[in-house]
Amino acid sequence: MITVKNISKIFYINKRQEGMLGAIRSMFFREYIEKIAVNDISFSISPGEIVGYIGPNGAGKSTTIKMLTGILVPTSGEIRVNGVIPYRERQKNARQIGVVFGQRTQLWGDLPTVDSFELLKQIYQIPEKKYRKNLETFTEILGLDEFLNTPVRQLSLGQRMRADIAASLLHDPAVLFLDEPTIGLDVVAKDRMRKFIREVNKERGVTVILTTHDMSDIEKLCKRMILIDKGKIMYDGELAKIKEVFGRDRILTIDFEGDVPFLEKGVQLIRSEGNRKWLKFNLEEISTAQLLAEIAKKNEIKDFIIQEPEIDYIIRKIYERGL
Amino acid sequence: MARSIYNALRIYWYMVEASIRAQMQYSYAFIMNILGWMMHYTGMAITMWVLLYSFQALNGWVYWELIFLFALSVLSWSICTIFFFHFRKLDVHIVQGTFDRFLVRPISPFFHFMALKFDVGALGQLFFSIGAFILAYIKLSLHWSWAEWLVFLGAVIGGTLIQGGMLVLISTIAFYTTRSERVFWVLIFPFRNLINYPLTIFPKAMQMFITFVLPFAFVNYLPALILLDKADPVFPGFWGSLSIFVGILFFWFSYRVWQKGVDRYNSTGS
Repeated sequence: MITVKNISKIFYINKRQEGMLGAIRSMFFREYIEKIAVNDISFSISPGEIVGYIGPNGAGKSTTIKMLTGILVPTSGEIRVNGVIPYRERQKNARQIGVVFGQRTQLWGDLPTVDSFELLKQIYQIPEKKYRKNLETFTEILGLDEFLNTPVRQLSLGQRMRADIAASLLHDPAVLFLDEPTIGLDVVAKDRMRKFIREVNKERGVTVILTTHDMSDIEKLCKRMILIDKGKIMYDGELAKIKEVFGRDRILTIDFEGDVPFLEKGVQLIRSEGNRKWLKFNLEEISTAQLLAEIAKKNEIKDFIIQEPEIDYIIRKIYERGL
Repeated sequence: MARSIYNALRIYWYMVEASIRAQMQYSYAFIMNILGWMMHYTGMAITMWVLLYSFQALNGWVYWELIFLFALSVLSWSICTIFFFHFRKLDVHIVQGTFDRFLVRPISPFFHFMALKFDVGALGQLFFSIGAFILAYIKLSLHWSWAEWLVFLGAVIGGTLIQGGMLVLISTIAFYTTRSERVFWVLIFPFRNLINYPLTIFPKAMQMFITFVLPFAFVNYLPALILLDKADPVFPGFWGSLSIFVGILFFWFSYRVWQKGVDRYNSTGS
């Protein structure tokens, strides 16, 4: 469905110089810094897959999505989406893909939501029957009817995202690109969005590629994930495997009653701030309950939080150890 | 071919109709916008009257001839703003990243962007210019032949394309520097004010610039020479009938440059 072969994208960024003099100088003599946003990456995605494209901010996620959707031309390399070279046949590519950018809407802000759908029907020349059927289905699953006649700019973020994802699917695309589809959403809205994505993938066989920096998006949706950092692919494969290797680390934050010197074997003290300590431990070595019991034997615990490793942490780990 | 043009027009109509409805939502702003432009231009016409009150004529042009010149330029300008005025805001779309959405649609980004807004506020200018034109036509007791009406039509269409082309051309800067609206205010309005007066009052270099570089002279001055039966010491009379061709050429050029801008955007994404 999608093949990406050795693509790179280099941006030339205007170097800003400091101070007033620098600002004037840079008006006439521009210096450019080369920034490699995407560095020689390759992967292929089969029809019907849901792939999580994950990485920290500035890793090159959006740049890759923009190249796949035809917005950006790669500096080098080859891309095929369903046989089409996106940047060369942008309009043809547009017919077979759906795109949602979580950060900004693709709908007409001043008009009722349903009007945006009508406009898209015209733009994509969706046959009446197909349009009706799709709109009905999406309205039902996403509960669009509560705001179909509200202008888009008055929608809450959750509603807007629902409207946006429905809009991107009206023309039955084969591939759906979701750039941060759950960003800023609350837990309930996130859940609803994920459910819908899963359903679209299962019922309609739409191939889905989603970028996120929310690890739980990936956990709930994707079997496969591609991890990218600094423009390079760090990992491409099953999510389960990476969790096995790195996902067993936990961070325990404890508030103690009184200032206590803390010593526990097999546990690493990573930060300390008065009565609050941050401890890292591994589930392979000790279970959370065991550890808490051990600590509680000697000290008084006021409060505690357990955190799973975040994506940045996993990436750092991969750097340190390799896979 | 015919079918795809029909489809394009249909899509354009749907988007335009949506844009009008969106503007109607703010009814107060909508009406003030129309009124504001009418007031603005009426003020300018009064200024001209004050100016001529003491001089009687400007380089052989009497008051109603100047109003004619003025009306002709506002007429094509108002039509052009209806379709192209929002091009000055292209930089905002690029800075905020909303331009991307035009690139993931199965229609041409130029067409899509053009259909984004149908500026109803420009109707104020249109009403003013039609009124001023009719008045001037009566006051100057003109009786045009069909050939002269053709020249007039050519001037309106040509003028629309020339000035629309300029808006498109200036917006292209946004693809390179991401800030272009300033350029628009610096370039368009001073020149638009210049062409309210007969070209002969300006230095030769300026006349050449307005004719050959930014072809504003074809918007009103050169066609007015034919339509008012006047002569210019430099430009041959028939040049005024070329407006439509100059317009088509200039617009086509601007459109191509804009497309190059899109290509540039595709490689920089900024």
